[in-house]
Amino acid sequence: MAERRSDAAASPPRGGGVLAGGALALLAYALLYASPYGLRVLTVAGVYALAAFGFQIVFGLGGALSLAQGAFFGVGAYVTGILGSRYGLGFEATFPLSLLAPLLLALPVGLAVLRLASHYFALATLGIAQVLHLLAVNLPDLTGGANGLAGVPGVVLFGHAVARGLPMAVLVWGLVALGGLVGWLLARGRFGRSLTALRDDPLAAGTLGLDVGRLRLAAFAASALFGGAAGALAVHTQRVVSPEVLEFPVMVSILTIAIVGGRGRMAGAMLGAVLLLHLPEWFRFLERGYLVVYGGALLLTVLVAPDGLTGLIDRAAGRLWGRRPHRLPAASAPPRFPAGGLAVEGLGKSFGGVHAVDGVSLELTPGTITGLIGPNGSGKSTVINLLSGLERPDAGHVVLAGRAVTGARADRLARAGLARSFQAAALPEGAGVLEAVAAARLAFDADARQAEAHARWALDRLGVGDLAAQSCDGLPAALRRRVELARAVVRRPAVLLLDEPAAGLTDGEKAELSTLLRGLTGEGTAILLVEHDMGFLLPLAGRVLCLDRGRVIYDGPAAGVRQDGAVAAAYLGTAVPA
Amino acid sequence: MRRTRPLPSILRAAIVSAIAASSVAVSPGAARADDTLSFPVLVPLTGFLSLEGTSQRNGAVLALKQTPAGVAIASEVVDTGTSPEAAVTALERAAGDGKVGAVAASMLGTQLLAMLPLAAEMKLPLVTVSGTASITEQGNPWVFRFFPGDAVTKAAHARYVVEELGKRRPAVIYQTTAYGQSGKQHLDAAFKALGVTPVFEEGVDPAAKDLLPVLSKALAAKPDVLVLHLHSGPTALLLKQAATSGVDLPIVAGSAMHQPSTAALLEPAELKGVCAETAASPISGGSPEIEAFTDSYRTAFGKDPDAFALGQYDGMTMVLEAVKAGARSPEAIRKALSAESFQGLAMTYKSDGKGNMAHSAVIVCYDGTSRVPKLVKRYDDPAIAAK
Repeated sequence: MAERRSDAAASPPRGGGVLAGGALALLAYALLYASPYGLRVLTVAGVYALAAFGFQIVFGLGGALSLAQGAFFGVGAYVTGILGSRYGLGFEATFPLSLLAPLLLALPVGLAVLRLASHYFALATLGIAQVLHLLAVNLPDLTGGANGLAGVPGVVLFGHAVARGLPMAVLVWGLVALGGLVGWLLARGRFGRSLTALRDDPLAAGTLGLDVGRLRLAAFAASALFGGAAGALAVHTQRVVSPEVLEFPVMVSILTIAIVGGRGRMAGAMLGAVLLLHLPEWFRFLERGYLVVYGGALLLTVLVAPDGLTGLIDRAAGRLWGRRPHRLPAASAPPRFPAGGLAVEGLGKSFGGVHAVDGVSLELTPGTITGLIGPNGSGKSTVINLLSGLERPDAGHVVLAGRAVTGARADRLARAGLARSFQAAALPEGAGVLEAVAAARLAFDADARQAEAHARWALDRLGVGDLAAQSCDGLPAALRRRVELARAVVRRPAVLLLDEPAAGLTDGEKAELSTLLRGLTGEGTAILLVEHDMGFLLPLAGRVLCLDRGRVIYDGPAAGVRQDGAVAAAYLGTAVPA
Repeated sequence: MRRTRPLPSILRAAIVSAIAASSVAVSPGAARADDTLSFPVLVPLTGFLSLEGTSQRNGAVLALKQTPAGVAIASEVVDTGTSPEAAVTALERAAGDGKVGAVAASMLGTQLLAMLPLAAEMKLPLVTVSGTASITEQGNPWVFRFFPGDAVTKAAHARYVVEELGKRRPAVIYQTTAYGQSGKQHLDAAFKALGVTPVFEEGVDPAAKDLLPVLSKALAAKPDVLVLHLHSGPTALLLKQAATSGVDLPIVAGSAMHQPSTAALLEPAELKGVCAETAASPISGGSPEIEAFTDSYRTAFGKDPDAFALGQYDGMTMVLEAVKAGARSPEAIRKALSAESFQGLAMTYKSDGKGNMAHSAVIVCYDGTSRVPKLVKRYDDPAIAAK
């Protein structure tokens, strides 16, 4: 099922006023009405909001279902518990160390598991919590064993004890505000948008120049910092630490908060935490029956608000008070990669016993278009995948702009000046057009705003500048192709690999595309054009290669391809006499 | 068509603030206006300790029906689940709900340990049946345990094995929880005091679905008795697997075995020769008062009572006796619990200065014909472990 987008980067939130009002209400409640019990529930909600911030980054924005967030929470809790109760260290020392320990755990673990596929990744991260739980139970000299450690001191900050009740609530929510601001800035900025691009399509993200591994590791590390901070504060509110902080219910609470509040949004984490921590309290009078009501309420929330409560508020506010116009940046031309060609020698790739690409050699010269044709299954898309780093070749050498890049990762090739398009336009579901194109500049530009300015330039150049404020959803196929092409063009690459860009276009649109491609070659771009429409391709291409069963059966001038007997036999049909 | 003008954002925020603040403020915790004395029951009704927690609840609720003349009593039952955080929140909530006399507090050791600092700060007596030894080792004068601690029950456990059964090669299987680790530690000390070293010791996770591997390992050590310290479900599972495997060694289990809910998971034949330590076994009878309690319990809750129910009943009854004697504040109740002796249904309760009120344990055994055990040995010595 297509995922609906609810992150901050997709579009400006419409319910900001409502959420700000809610925050003011909470503040008024805490200062004027709340009993010590009410303040405790609020404090615990703040602790979970902080933990959920980290989860919003790694899962909400990055799409990695990390079930280690509860483990990071537990590690932070144990560091504070052990150092506070056994060694008498104060908050100034225990709090930073409670952030550091989960971070130090996250880095090696992340390197090991972050490249796993989604469900294996989830299982691996769940295993971390299980191992830590076993250690906590079975190292009683250090952790107090299953009983845990009692007598953890309250927060003492620079010699001043922070009492329970309002002072503790203020401390926790002060840190929540700080953490939320950091998270919000990250989500809106280049990092958050890069993670979103990664979440939407990890393969495409790599071809846009985004270092998937490094981004995921950074998100995992950020989540560990937030988890550790939350765990430390949890221990100060409970005054004991026991293996329960490493148990699955903590993780489930964080996950539920993120989903109910609104995936990927810091405001969602706060709203979800406040609601989920208060909801069971409102129904406590039902004894154990409160769980039924609690579960029903959560189910209802997920059904009514599939984008989370913040998404629901945005939609409701949009209907009530109208939509805020999307403020578009002025178009600005991105810098051009220096001209440089691509030389390929003896490229080979097999899948089991099938030789998909077998000894293909070609050269893409700056300022020229090279056509790549062949019947379906002949290896054209595999060649593009090999050249763009989505597949690793079994044999051959590739040199890009004078540098050997054989087997290089997609993001490294992209950053070296190679861009590609996909046969099926790979636009992220629910994203705005401007955002989708700007994603292709995130690895190159200083910030998201600059990337958007460059994206506007590309959209204007493709003749679809008026689509900038629209959503990619529901765009006609031809327009989707243009937006997809804009994602490649916006990079102003040295080498551009296009996989059937004219498929589904009208004659007029093809003519416009021809003009565009000629313009790009005029700027020195080397283009490899995979296309079935000979009427479109042959006038553009100076040289054409034809593949059949992975091998080059024709490599010569475009004018000669129709007369070649082998090409006619394998692909075009009847040869046309010269 | 006329377009509605959006409200200024500051006005929107103010309206939303007012609505939200009023809705959040309508939460439980508003103080009572009268002088009703409140005795909240904060126990685990859900999670892995729900069976025992429900017994604890029922015992407290039954006791609180004995309202002393001239005193208005109120009580709210709150599920603490199994997390310390939920228990602390429940205590804070209860403290804000009128004039609290004492709290029937969770029997889960980690929850009670978390409640202790807050109880001391709020000056509220906690009345519990937790067996976790460390709860009365924190120097906190506000906790009162109406169930013998592990120092007592495990000493009785070990003494029965060594002195009554004459066994000297016990294999100990315990749970990897706070309950299990505390019990194992005290079993070790008690066996050591008796000059016996277990031939096998291993902890098992409460979620384990097959205990045959640990049973096989234990048998491979050639023990002459199996000593169990497991929760209710694992106790039943191990006994069932032992019976199926034809194990003919005597088995002396922990207090979870005496619970009628545990016995209900087994056929009477599977219980033949099995014994268990416990504070009391109300369904085994023993006195007209205990039989009356058991009948009242069955009438009120439709099930059999266990030692946890009886311990909590005795504890709350002692609290009410203090109220009847004039104690109207938590401090007065604490003083009464600290200083007085109380003849409960299960035993005589008297604080040892740390809040340990119960100093007796019994051994019950099943004869293989019914699920009601017989009381075979009583240990009343508070210094039992030292013998």
